Amino acid sequence: MTTMTQTAPLVRVDGVTKRFGSGDKEMVALSGLNLEVREGEFISLLGPSGCGKSTALNIMGGLLDATEGTVTFSGEPLTEPNRHIGMMFQQAVMFPWRTTLENVLLPVEIFGEKKKDFIPKAEELLEMVGIKDFRDSYPWQLSGGMQQRAALCRVLLHDPKLLLLDEPFGALDEFTRESMNQELLRLQDYAKSTAVLVTHNITEAVFMSDRVAVMSARPGRLVDIIEVPFDRPRRPDLQTTTEFIKLVAKARQMLELQ
Amino acid sequence: MTTTAPAPTPARSTPTPGPNWWERFRQGSAWIVITTVAVIIAIWEFFPQLGFVNRVLFPTFSETVTAFFQLLGGGYWWDDLAKTMSAVAIAWVIGVAFGFTMGVVLGTSPFLRQAITPYAIAVQALPKVVLAPLLIGWLGFGPESKIALAVIICFFPVWIDTMVGLALPSANEFKLMKSLKASRWQVFTKLQLPSALPMIMVGVKHALLLAFTGVIVAEILSASDGGLGKLTKEFASQLNMGLVYSVVTIVVILSITLVSIADVIERRVVFWSEESRARKK
Repeated sequence: MTTMTQTAPLVRVDGVTKRFGSGDKEMVALSGLNLEVREGEFISLLGPSGCGKSTALNIMGGLLDATEGTVTFSGEPLTEPNRHIGMMFQQAVMFPWRTTLENVLLPVEIFGEKKKDFIPKAEELLEMVGIKDFRDSYPWQLSGGMQQRAALCRVLLHDPKLLLLDEPFGALDEFTRESMNQELLRLQDYAKSTAVLVTHNITEAVFMSDRVAVMSARPGRLVDIIEVPFDRPRRPDLQTTTEFIKLVAKARQMLELQ
Repeated sequence: MTTTAPAPTPARSTPTPGPNWWERFRQGSAWIVITTVAVIIAIWEFFPQLGFVNRVLFPTFSETVTAFFQLLGGGYWWDDLAKTMSAVAIAWVIGVAFGFTMGVVLGTSPFLRQAITPYAIAVQALPKVVLAPLLIGWLGFGPESKIALAVIICFFPVWIDTMVGLALPSANEFKLMKSLKASRWQVFTKLQLPSALPMIMVGVKHALLLAFTGVIVAEILSASDGGLGKLTKEFASQLNMGLVYSVVTIVVILSITLVSIADVIERRVVFWSEESRARKK
Protein backbone atom coordinates (compact mmCIF):
# COMPACT_ATOMS: atom_id res chain seq x y z
CA MET A 1 0.00 0.00 0.00
CA THR A 2 2.69 2.50 0.95
CA THR A 3 4.72 1.61 -2.12
CA MET A 4 1.60 2.19 -4.22
CA THR A 5 1.13 5.75 -2.97
CA GLN A 6 4.80 6.43 -3.37
CA THR A 7 4.90 5.33 -6.98
CA ALA A 8 1.59 6.70 -8.25
CA PRO A 9 1.79 10.48 -8.43
CA LEU A 10 -1.10 12.55 -7.06
CA VAL A 11 -1.06 14.75 -10.14
CA ARG A 12 0.29 13.86 -13.55
CA VAL A 13 0.61 16.61 -16.13
CA ASP A 14 1.14 14.99 -19.48
CA GLY A 15 2.25 16.98 -22.53
CA VAL A 16 0.09 19.97 -21.63
CA THR A 17 0.08 22.82 -24.11
CA LYS A 18 -2.07 25.91 -23.73
CA ARG A 19 -2.70 28.39 -26.51
CA PHE A 20 -4.77 31.55 -26.10
CA GLY A 21 -6.43 33.24 -29.06
CA SER A 22 -6.01 32.14 -32.65
CA GLY A 23 -4.47 33.23 -35.94
CA ASP A 24 -2.08 36.20 -35.68
CA LYS A 25 -3.07 36.82 -32.09
CA GLU A 26 -2.30 33.28 -31.01
CA MET A 27 -0.17 33.13 -27.87
CA VAL A 28 1.42 29.94 -26.65
CA ALA A 29 1.41 30.16 -22.88
CA LEU A 30 2.57 26.64 -22.17
CA SER A 31 4.27 24.16 -24.43
CA GLY A 32 4.41 20.42 -23.77
CA LEU A 33 4.63 20.55 -19.97
CA ASN A 34 5.29 17.24 -18.25
CA LEU A 35 5.21 17.15 -14.47
CA GLU A 36 4.44 14.68 -11.74
CA VAL A 37 3.44 15.85 -8.29
CA ARG A 38 4.08 13.25 -5.62
CA GLU A 39 1.72 12.72 -2.75
CA GLY A 40 2.68 14.78 0.30
CA GLU A 41 5.44 16.79 -1.32
CA PHE A 42 5.88 20.54 -1.61
CA ILE A 43 6.80 21.47 -5.15
CA SER A 44 7.36 24.94 -6.61
CA LEU A 45 6.94 26.13 -10.16
CA LEU A 46 9.67 28.73 -10.51
CA GLY A 47 10.02 30.96 -13.53
CA PRO A 48 10.03 34.54 -14.85
CA SER A 49 6.75 36.43 -15.30
CA GLY A 50 4.83 35.21 -18.30
CA CYS A 51 6.35 31.74 -18.30
CA GLY A 52 2.92 30.18 -18.01
CA LYS A 53 3.33 28.94 -14.45
CA SER A 54 0.02 30.41 -13.33
CA THR A 55 -1.61 28.97 -16.44
CA ALA A 56 -0.19 25.55 -15.51
CA LEU A 57 -1.59 25.94 -11.99
CA ASN A 58 -5.03 26.95 -13.26
CA ILE A 59 -5.08 23.89 -15.53
CA MET A 60 -4.10 21.68 -12.59
CA GLY A 61 -6.97 23.21 -10.63
CA GLY A 62 -9.46 22.53 -13.40
CA LEU A 63 -10.12 26.25 -13.93
CA LEU A 64 -8.69 26.18 -17.46
CA ASP A 65 -8.77 23.50 -20.12
CA ALA A 66 -5.54 22.36 -21.73
CA THR A 67 -5.36 22.87 -25.49
CA GLU A 68 -3.38 19.65 -25.77
CA GLY A 69 -2.37 17.01 -23.27
CA THR A 70 -4.03 15.70 -20.15
CA VAL A 71 -3.98 16.19 -16.39
CA THR A 72 -4.87 13.38 -14.02
CA PHE A 73 -5.61 13.82 -10.33
CA SER A 74 -5.57 10.71 -8.08
CA GLY A 75 -5.54 8.64 -11.26
CA GLU A 76 -8.67 10.28 -12.69
CA PRO A 77 -8.69 12.70 -15.63
CA LEU A 78 -9.21 16.25 -14.36
CA THR A 79 -11.48 18.47 -16.42
CA GLU A 80 -13.22 20.66 -13.84
CA PRO A 81 -12.60 22.01 -10.33
CA ASN A 82 -12.46 19.34 -7.68
CA ARG A 83 -13.43 19.57 -4.01
CA HIS A 84 -10.18 17.93 -2.98
CA ILE A 85 -8.16 20.67 -4.64
CA GLY A 86 -7.88 23.99 -2.80
CA MET A 87 -6.66 27.14 -4.51
CA MET A 88 -5.13 30.32 -3.11
CA PHE A 89 -4.56 33.44 -5.15
CA GLN A 90 -2.32 36.47 -4.89
CA GLN A 91 -5.16 38.39 -3.26
CA ALA A 92 -6.88 36.98 -0.19
CA VAL A 93 -10.28 37.37 -1.91
CA MET A 94 -12.33 38.00 1.22
CA PHE A 95 -15.88 39.23 0.80
CA PRO A 96 -16.27 42.52 2.71
CA TRP A 97 -19.87 41.80 3.75
CA ARG A 98 -18.83 38.64 5.59
CA THR A 99 -16.99 38.38 8.87
CA THR A 100 -13.73 36.45 8.99
CA LEU A 101 -15.51 33.32 10.22
CA GLU A 102 -18.22 33.63 7.57
CA ASN A 103 -15.56 33.99 4.91
CA VAL A 104 -13.78 30.89 6.15
CA LEU A 105 -17.10 29.02 6.04
CA LEU A 106 -17.89 30.07 2.46
CA PRO A 107 -16.94 26.66 0.96
CA VAL A 108 -19.31 24.96 3.42
CA GLU A 109 -22.19 26.99 2.03
CA ILE A 110 -21.17 26.36 -1.57
CA PHE A 111 -20.90 22.64 -0.94
CA GLY A 112 -24.34 22.67 0.67
CA GLU A 113 -23.17 21.41 4.05
CA LYS A 114 -24.24 22.40 7.56
CA LYS A 115 -22.28 25.39 8.82
CA LYS A 116 -22.41 24.38 12.46
CA ASP A 117 -20.62 21.10 11.67
CA PHE A 118 -17.62 23.10 10.53
CA ILE A 119 -17.52 25.95 13.04
CA PRO A 120 -15.27 24.09 15.53
CA LYS A 121 -12.80 23.21 12.76
CA ALA A 122 -12.86 26.77 11.42
CA GLU A 123 -12.20 28.18 14.89
CA GLU A 124 -9.37 25.72 15.42
CA LEU A 125 -7.74 26.83 12.17
CA LEU A 126 -8.23 30.51 13.02
CA GLU A 127 -6.60 29.85 16.37
CA MET A 128 -3.67 28.06 14.70
CA VAL A 129 -2.93 31.07 12.49
CA GLY A 130 -3.45 33.42 15.44
CA ILE A 131 -6.51 35.39 14.34
CA LYS A 132 -9.20 33.72 16.41
CA ASP A 133 -9.93 37.02 18.15
CA PHE A 134 -10.88 38.47 14.79
CA ARG A 135 -13.44 35.84 13.85
CA ASP A 136 -16.24 38.40 13.98
CA SER A 137 -14.26 41.24 12.40
CA TYR A 138 -14.71 42.20 8.79
CA PRO A 139 -11.89 41.75 6.26
CA TRP A 140 -11.43 45.49 5.87
CA GLN A 141 -10.61 45.66 9.57
CA LEU A 142 -7.72 43.22 9.08
CA SER A 143 -4.22 43.73 7.69
CA GLY A 144 -3.25 42.10 4.39
CA GLY A 145 -1.33 39.38 6.20
CA MET A 146 -4.26 38.59 8.48
CA GLN A 147 -6.57 38.39 5.47
CA GLN A 148 -4.25 35.85 3.85
CA ARG A 149 -4.20 33.87 7.09
CA ALA A 150 -7.99 33.74 6.94
CA ALA A 151 -7.80 32.68 3.28
CA LEU A 152 -5.44 29.91 4.34
CA CYS A 153 -8.00 28.72 6.89
CA ARG A 154 -10.71 28.80 4.23
CA VAL A 155 -8.71 26.65 1.85
CA LEU A 156 -7.71 24.17 4.58
CA LEU A 157 -11.20 23.76 6.04
CA HIS A 158 -12.02 20.74 3.88
CA ASP A 159 -8.58 19.08 4.18
CA PRO A 160 -7.70 19.37 0.50
CA LYS A 161 -5.42 16.66 -0.85
CA LEU A 162 -3.83 19.22 -3.11
CA LEU A 163 -3.09 22.88 -2.41
CA LEU A 164 -2.51 25.09 -5.44
CA LEU A 165 -0.88 28.35 -4.41
CA ASP A 166 -0.60 31.14 -6.96
CA GLU A 167 1.96 33.49 -5.36
CA PRO A 168 -0.33 33.71 -2.36
CA PHE A 169 1.86 36.12 -0.42
CA GLY A 170 3.20 38.07 -3.38
CA ALA A 171 1.28 41.19 -2.42
CA LEU A 172 2.57 41.22 1.16
CA ASP A 173 5.67 42.95 2.48
CA GLU A 174 8.86 40.93 2.92
CA PHE A 175 8.55 40.38 6.70
CA THR A 176 4.92 39.32 6.63
CA ARG A 177 5.63 37.17 3.63
CA GLU A 178 8.38 35.27 5.43
CA SER A 179 6.26 34.57 8.49
CA MET A 180 3.34 33.56 6.24
CA ASN A 181 5.59 31.09 4.45
CA GLN A 182 6.52 29.53 7.80
CA GLU A 183 2.84 29.34 8.66
CA LEU A 184 2.05 27.72 5.35
CA LEU A 185 4.69 25.02 5.81
CA ARG A 186 3.45 24.27 9.30
CA LEU A 187 -0.18 23.98 8.17
CA GLN A 188 0.64 21.95 5.09
CA ASP A 189 2.45 19.50 7.33
CA TYR A 190 -0.46 19.52 9.79
CA ALA A 191 -3.06 18.93 7.08
CA LYS A 192 -0.80 16.36 5.40
CA SER A 193 -1.64 17.80 2.02
CA THR A 194 0.39 18.14 -1.14
CA ALA A 195 1.28 21.66 -2.25
CA VAL A 196 2.18 23.28 -5.56
CA LEU A 197 3.49 26.82 -5.20
CA VAL A 198 3.87 29.21 -8.11
CA THR A 199 6.54 31.84 -7.49
CA HIS A 200 9.19 33.97 -9.18
CA ASN A 201 11.19 34.26 -5.98
CA ILE A 202 14.13 31.84 -6.14
CA THR A 203 14.96 31.87 -2.41
CA GLU A 204 11.36 31.32 -1.49
CA ALA A 205 11.03 28.41 -3.93
CA VAL A 206 14.13 26.66 -2.58
CA PHE A 207 13.27 27.32 1.07
CA MET A 208 9.72 26.01 0.81
CA SER A 209 10.04 23.06 -1.53
CA ASP A 210 11.08 19.44 -1.71
CA ARG A 211 11.49 19.95 -5.44
CA VAL A 212 11.71 23.07 -7.57
CA ALA A 213 10.47 22.86 -11.17
CA VAL A 214 12.32 25.56 -13.10
CA MET A 215 10.43 26.90 -16.11
CA SER A 216 11.55 28.90 -19.13
CA ALA A 217 9.98 32.10 -20.45
CA ARG A 218 7.24 32.02 -23.07
CA PRO A 219 6.34 29.59 -24.37
CA GLY A 220 6.54 28.01 -20.94
CA ARG A 221 8.48 24.80 -20.79
CA LEU A 222 10.00 22.80 -18.00
CA VAL A 223 13.78 23.31 -17.89
CA ASP A 224 14.70 21.00 -15.04
CA ILE A 225 13.74 19.89 -11.57
CA ILE A 226 15.99 20.64 -8.60
CA GLU A 227 15.76 18.32 -5.60
CA VAL A 228 15.99 20.16 -2.28
CA PRO A 229 17.28 17.71 0.34
CA PHE A 230 16.97 19.76 3.55
CA ASP A 231 15.14 18.36 6.58
CA ARG A 232 11.87 19.70 7.89
CA PRO A 233 10.79 21.70 9.73
CA ARG A 234 12.94 24.31 8.07
CA ARG A 235 14.11 27.30 10.03
CA PRO A 236 14.79 30.72 8.51
CA ASP A 237 18.53 30.46 9.30
CA LEU A 238 18.72 27.64 6.75
CA GLN A 239 18.84 30.40 4.18
CA THR A 240 22.33 31.44 5.27
CA THR A 241 23.95 27.99 4.93
CA THR A 242 26.36 27.28 2.09
CA GLU A 243 24.32 24.33 0.78
CA PHE A 244 21.22 26.49 0.56
CA ILE A 245 23.05 29.30 -1.21
CA LYS A 246 24.52 26.80 -3.67
CA LEU A 247 21.06 25.50 -4.58
CA VAL A 248 19.76 29.03 -5.03
CA ALA A 249 22.72 29.79 -7.31
CA LYS A 250 22.01 26.63 -9.30
CA ALA A 251 18.38 27.64 -9.83
CA ARG A 252 19.42 31.16 -10.77
CA GLN A 253 21.87 29.78 -13.31
CA MET A 254 19.15 27.63 -14.87
CA LEU A 255 16.83 30.61 -15.17
CA GLU A 256 19.54 32.71 -16.81
CA LEU A 257 20.88 30.00 -19.11
CA GLN A 258 17.69 29.60 -21.08
CA MET B 1 2.73 30.71 16.82
CA THR B 2 4.77 33.14 14.83
CA THR B 3 4.24 36.86 14.97
CA THR B 4 0.80 38.18 14.30
CA ALA B 5 0.11 41.44 12.57
CA PRO B 6 -0.89 44.20 14.98
CA ALA B 7 -4.53 44.36 15.92
CA PRO B 8 -6.45 47.00 14.02
CA THR B 9 -7.71 49.54 16.48
CA PRO B 10 -11.28 50.52 15.74
CA ALA B 11 -10.88 54.24 15.30
CA ARG B 12 -13.78 55.83 17.09
CA SER B 13 -13.37 59.56 17.08
CA THR B 14 -14.53 60.92 20.38
CA PRO B 15 -15.59 64.56 20.22
CA THR B 16 -12.99 66.55 22.10
CA PRO B 17 -14.73 68.63 24.74
CA GLY B 18 -14.00 72.26 23.91
CA PRO B 19 -13.41 75.04 26.46
CA ASN B 20 -16.97 76.37 26.12
CA TRP B 21 -19.80 76.47 23.60
CA TRP B 22 -18.80 79.87 22.24
CA GLU B 23 -15.28 78.66 21.38
CA ARG B 24 -16.67 75.56 19.71
CA PHE B 25 -19.15 77.69 17.81
CA ARG B 26 -16.40 79.97 16.50
CA GLN B 27 -14.07 77.14 15.62
CA GLY B 28 -16.76 75.05 13.92
CA SER B 29 -18.52 75.81 10.68
CA ALA B 30 -21.89 76.52 12.30
CA TRP B 31 -21.46 80.28 12.15
CA ILE B 32 -20.92 80.13 8.37
CA VAL B 33 -24.26 78.37 7.96
CA ILE B 34 -26.05 80.75 10.29
CA THR B 35 -24.61 83.82 8.58
CA THR B 36 -25.53 82.52 5.13
CA VAL B 37 -29.11 81.81 6.19
CA ALA B 38 -29.41 85.21 7.84
CA VAL B 39 -28.20 87.00 4.70
CA ILE B 40 -30.60 85.06 2.48
CA ILE B 41 -33.55 85.79 4.75
CA ALA B 42 -32.62 89.47 4.87
CA ILE B 43 -32.52 89.70 1.08
CA TRP B 44 -35.76 87.74 0.84
CA GLU B 45 -37.46 90.07 3.31
CA PHE B 46 -36.17 93.46 2.21
CA PHE B 47 -35.72 93.31 -1.57
CA PRO B 48 -39.50 93.10 -2.24
CA GLN B 49 -40.20 95.70 0.49
CA LEU B 50 -37.71 98.14 -0.99
CA GLY B 51 -39.27 97.66 -4.40
CA PHE B 52 -36.32 95.95 -6.12
CA VAL B 53 -38.69 93.20 -7.25
CA ASN B 54 -42.45 92.96 -7.61
CA ARG B 55 -43.94 92.20 -4.23
CA VAL B 56 -46.87 90.25 -5.66
CA LEU B 57 -44.62 87.87 -7.58
CA PHE B 58 -41.91 87.72 -4.91
CA PRO B 59 -43.53 87.69 -1.47
CA THR B 60 -41.31 88.55 1.49
CA PHE B 61 -40.08 86.03 4.02
CA SER B 62 -42.62 87.08 6.65
CA GLU B 63 -45.47 86.88 4.13
CA THR B 64 -44.31 83.40 3.15
CA VAL B 65 -44.24 82.27 6.76
CA THR B 66 -47.76 83.59 7.25
CA ALA B 67 -48.92 81.80 4.09
CA PHE B 68 -47.22 78.61 5.27
CA PHE B 69 -49.20 78.52 8.50
CA GLN B 70 -52.35 79.51 6.63
CA LEU B 71 -51.81 76.46 4.40
CA LEU B 72 -51.06 74.15 7.31
CA GLY B 73 -54.14 75.44 9.15
CA GLY B 74 -56.35 75.11 6.09
CA GLY B 75 -56.39 71.36 6.20
CA TYR B 76 -57.61 70.92 2.62
CA TRP B 77 -54.10 70.11 1.37
CA TRP B 78 -53.81 66.85 3.32
CA ASP B 79 -55.73 65.07 0.61
CA ASP B 80 -53.33 66.42 -2.03
CA LEU B 81 -50.35 65.39 0.06
CA ALA B 82 -51.73 61.85 0.41
CA LYS B 83 -52.41 61.62 -3.32
CA THR B 84 -48.90 62.75 -4.22
CA MET B 85 -47.13 60.57 -1.69
CA SER B 86 -49.13 57.43 -2.48
CA ALA B 87 -48.42 57.92 -6.20
CA VAL B 88 -44.71 58.40 -5.42
CA ALA B 89 -44.65 55.26 -3.26
CA ILE B 90 -46.41 53.10 -5.84
CA ALA B 91 -44.32 54.43 -8.73
CA TRP B 92 -41.12 53.99 -6.76
CA VAL B 93 -41.88 50.38 -5.82
CA ILE B 94 -42.86 49.50 -9.41
CA GLY B 95 -39.88 51.38 -10.85
CA VAL B 96 -37.39 49.74 -8.47
CA ALA B 97 -38.85 46.27 -9.07
CA PHE B 98 -38.84 46.72 -12.83
CA GLY B 99 -35.38 48.32 -12.93
CA PHE B 100 -33.94 45.62 -10.69
CA THR B 101 -35.43 42.83 -12.78
CA MET B 102 -34.13 44.38 -16.00
CA GLY B 103 -30.71 44.88 -14.39
CA VAL B 104 -30.51 41.26 -13.24
CA VAL B 105 -31.67 39.87 -16.58
CA LEU B 106 -29.24 41.99 -18.56
CA GLY B 107 -26.48 41.78 -15.98
CA THR B 108 -26.42 37.99 -16.05
CA SER B 109 -26.96 37.47 -19.76
CA PRO B 110 -24.19 38.97 -21.93
CA PHE B 111 -26.25 38.21 -25.04
CA LEU B 112 -29.29 40.20 -23.93
CA ARG B 113 -27.05 42.96 -22.60
CA GLN B 114 -25.42 43.42 -25.99
CA ALA B 115 -28.78 43.24 -27.74
CA ILE B 116 -30.63 45.73 -25.57
CA THR B 117 -28.08 48.21 -24.15
CA PRO B 118 -27.90 50.48 -27.26
CA TYR B 119 -31.69 50.98 -27.19
CA ALA B 120 -31.64 51.50 -23.47
CA ILE B 121 -29.12 54.31 -23.88
CA ALA B 122 -31.24 55.86 -26.64
CA VAL B 123 -34.30 55.76 -24.35
CA GLN B 124 -32.33 57.29 -21.51
CA ALA B 125 -31.26 60.18 -23.76
CA LEU B 126 -34.93 61.01 -24.31
CA PRO B 127 -36.38 63.71 -22.02
CA LYS B 128 -39.14 61.42 -20.80
CA VAL B 129 -41.47 64.22 -19.74
CA VAL B 130 -42.34 64.49 -23.45
CA LEU B 131 -44.22 61.21 -23.00
CA ALA B 132 -46.59 62.79 -20.45
CA PRO B 133 -49.31 63.88 -22.92
CA LEU B 134 -49.16 60.45 -24.49
CA LEU B 135 -49.54 58.70 -21.15
CA ILE B 136 -52.38 61.01 -20.12
CA GLY B 137 -54.07 60.23 -23.44
CA TRP B 138 -53.67 56.52 -22.92
CA LEU B 139 -54.34 56.22 -19.20
CA GLY B 140 -56.59 59.20 -18.50
CA PHE B 141 -56.28 61.98 -15.92
CA GLY B 142 -56.34 59.71 -12.89
CA PRO B 143 -53.41 58.48 -10.80
CA GLU B 144 -52.48 55.86 -13.43
CA SER B 145 -50.89 58.33 -15.83
CA LYS B 146 -49.01 60.01 -12.95
CA ILE B 147 -47.63 56.70 -11.78
CA ALA B 148 -46.75 55.62 -15.30
CA LEU B 149 -44.73 58.76 -15.97
CA ALA B 150 -42.94 58.48 -12.62
CA VAL B 151 -42.12 54.81 -13.26
CA ILE B 152 -40.69 55.59 -16.69
CA ILE B 153 -38.58 58.38 -15.23
CA CYS B 154 -37.36 56.51 -12.14
CA PHE B 155 -36.60 52.93 -13.16
CA PHE B 156 -33.60 53.71 -15.31
CA PRO B 157 -30.92 54.34 -12.64
CA VAL B 158 -31.95 51.17 -10.80
CA TRP B 159 -31.61 49.19 -14.00
CA ILE B 160 -28.21 50.58 -14.94
CA ASP B 161 -26.80 50.48 -11.39
CA THR B 162 -27.93 46.87 -10.94
CA MET B 163 -26.45 45.85 -14.28
CA VAL B 164 -23.13 47.58 -13.62
CA GLY B 165 -23.04 46.38 -10.01
CA LEU B 166 -23.38 42.73 -10.97
CA ALA B 167 -20.23 43.05 -13.08
CA LEU B 168 -18.22 44.60 -10.22
CA PRO B 169 -16.63 41.47 -8.67
CA SER B 170 -12.99 41.01 -9.64
CA ALA B 171 -11.65 38.18 -11.79
CA ASN B 172 -10.14 36.63 -8.66
CA GLU B 173 -13.48 36.61 -6.88
CA PHE B 174 -15.11 34.80 -9.78
CA LYS B 175 -12.12 32.45 -9.86
CA LEU B 176 -12.52 31.61 -6.17
CA MET B 177 -16.18 30.75 -6.73
CA LYS B 178 -15.28 28.68 -9.77
CA SER B 179 -12.59 26.79 -7.87
CA LEU B 180 -15.30 25.86 -5.34
CA LYS B 181 -17.49 24.65 -8.20
CA ALA B 182 -20.19 27.16 -7.28
CA SER B 183 -23.33 27.06 -9.40
CA ARG B 184 -24.44 30.10 -11.38
CA TRP B 185 -27.12 30.74 -8.78
CA GLN B 186 -24.56 30.59 -5.97
CA VAL B 187 -22.23 32.95 -7.81
CA PHE B 188 -25.17 35.30 -8.21
CA THR B 189 -26.49 35.20 -4.65
CA LYS B 190 -23.20 34.91 -2.75
CA LEU B 191 -20.95 37.11 -4.85
CA GLN B 192 -22.59 39.26 -7.52
CA LEU B 193 -25.68 40.44 -5.68
CA PRO B 194 -23.90 41.46 -2.44
CA SER B 195 -21.18 43.17 -4.50
CA ALA B 196 -23.82 45.07 -6.43
CA LEU B 197 -25.82 46.11 -3.37
CA PRO B 198 -24.03 49.44 -2.70
CA MET B 199 -24.59 50.52 -6.31
CA ILE B 200 -28.18 49.29 -6.31
CA MET B 201 -28.84 51.33 -3.17
CA VAL B 202 -27.56 54.44 -4.97
CA GLY B 203 -29.94 53.71 -7.85
CA VAL B 204 -32.84 53.11 -5.48
CA LYS B 205 -32.23 56.45 -3.73
CA HIS B 206 -31.93 58.24 -7.03
CA ALA B 207 -35.19 56.59 -8.16
CA LEU B 208 -36.99 57.95 -5.11
CA LEU B 209 -36.27 61.55 -6.07
CA LEU B 210 -37.00 60.90 -9.73
CA ALA B 211 -40.36 59.32 -8.84
CA PHE B 212 -41.16 62.44 -6.84
CA THR B 213 -40.26 64.62 -9.83
CA GLY B 214 -42.30 62.47 -12.20
CA VAL B 215 -45.43 62.58 -10.06
CA ILE B 216 -45.28 66.35 -9.52
CA VAL B 217 -44.68 67.06 -13.21
CA ALA B 218 -47.64 64.86 -14.12
CA GLU B 219 -49.80 66.63 -11.53
CA ILE B 220 -48.92 70.03 -12.96
CA LEU B 221 -49.74 68.81 -16.46
CA SER B 222 -53.04 67.10 -15.61
CA ALA B 223 -54.41 68.88 -12.58
CA SER B 224 -57.70 67.03 -12.27
CA ASP B 225 -56.44 64.27 -9.97
CA GLY B 226 -55.09 66.67 -7.34
CA GLY B 227 -51.77 66.49 -5.55
CA LEU B 228 -49.08 68.95 -4.49
CA GLY B 229 -48.21 69.69 -8.12
CA LYS B 230 -51.81 70.73 -8.77
CA LEU B 231 -51.74 72.96 -5.68
CA THR B 232 -48.71 74.92 -6.89
CA LYS B 233 -50.30 75.38 -10.29
CA GLU B 234 -53.59 76.60 -8.78
CA PHE B 235 -51.96 78.96 -6.32
CA ALA B 236 -49.70 80.35 -9.03
CA SER B 237 -52.65 81.00 -11.32
CA GLN B 238 -54.28 82.90 -8.43
CA LEU B 239 -51.01 84.86 -8.09
CA ASN B 240 -50.87 83.67 -4.47
CA MET B 241 -47.12 83.22 -4.50
CA GLY B 242 -46.83 82.90 -0.74
CA LEU B 243 -48.82 79.69 -0.91
CA VAL B 244 -46.76 78.46 -3.88
CA TYR B 245 -43.63 79.06 -1.82
CA SER B 246 -45.22 77.12 1.03
CA VAL B 247 -45.99 74.08 -1.10
CA VAL B 248 -42.45 74.19 -2.52
CA THR B 249 -41.15 74.30 1.05
CA ILE B 250 -43.23 71.25 1.92
CA VAL B 251 -41.85 69.40 -1.12
CA VAL B 252 -38.30 70.31 -0.11
CA ILE B 253 -38.88 69.09 3.47
CA LEU B 254 -40.43 65.85 2.19
CA SER B 255 -37.64 65.05 -0.25
CA ILE B 256 -34.90 65.82 2.27
CA THR B 257 -36.67 63.61 4.83
CA LEU B 258 -37.05 60.75 2.35
CA VAL B 259 -33.42 60.93 1.25
CA SER B 260 -32.23 61.09 4.87
CA ILE B 261 -34.26 57.99 5.73
CA ALA B 262 -32.87 56.25 2.65
CA ASP B 263 -29.34 57.24 3.71
CA VAL B 264 -29.82 55.72 7.15
CA ILE B 265 -31.18 52.50 5.66
CA GLU B 266 -28.34 52.41 3.14
CA ARG B 267 -25.70 52.72 5.84
CA ARG B 268 -27.32 49.85 7.75
CA VAL B 269 -27.65 47.56 4.75
CA VAL B 270 -24.29 48.15 3.07
CA PHE B 271 -22.30 49.10 6.16
CA TRP B 272 -19.32 47.30 4.63
CA SER B 273 -19.16 49.31 1.41
CA GLU B 274 -16.24 51.66 0.97
CA GLU B 275 -18.58 54.62 0.78
CA SER B 276 -20.33 53.81 4.04
CA ARG B 277 -17.00 53.27 5.76
CA ALA B 278 -15.64 56.56 4.43
CA ARG B 279 -18.68 58.43 5.73
CA LYS B 280 -18.36 56.96 9.20
CA LYS B 281 -14.88 58.41 9.65
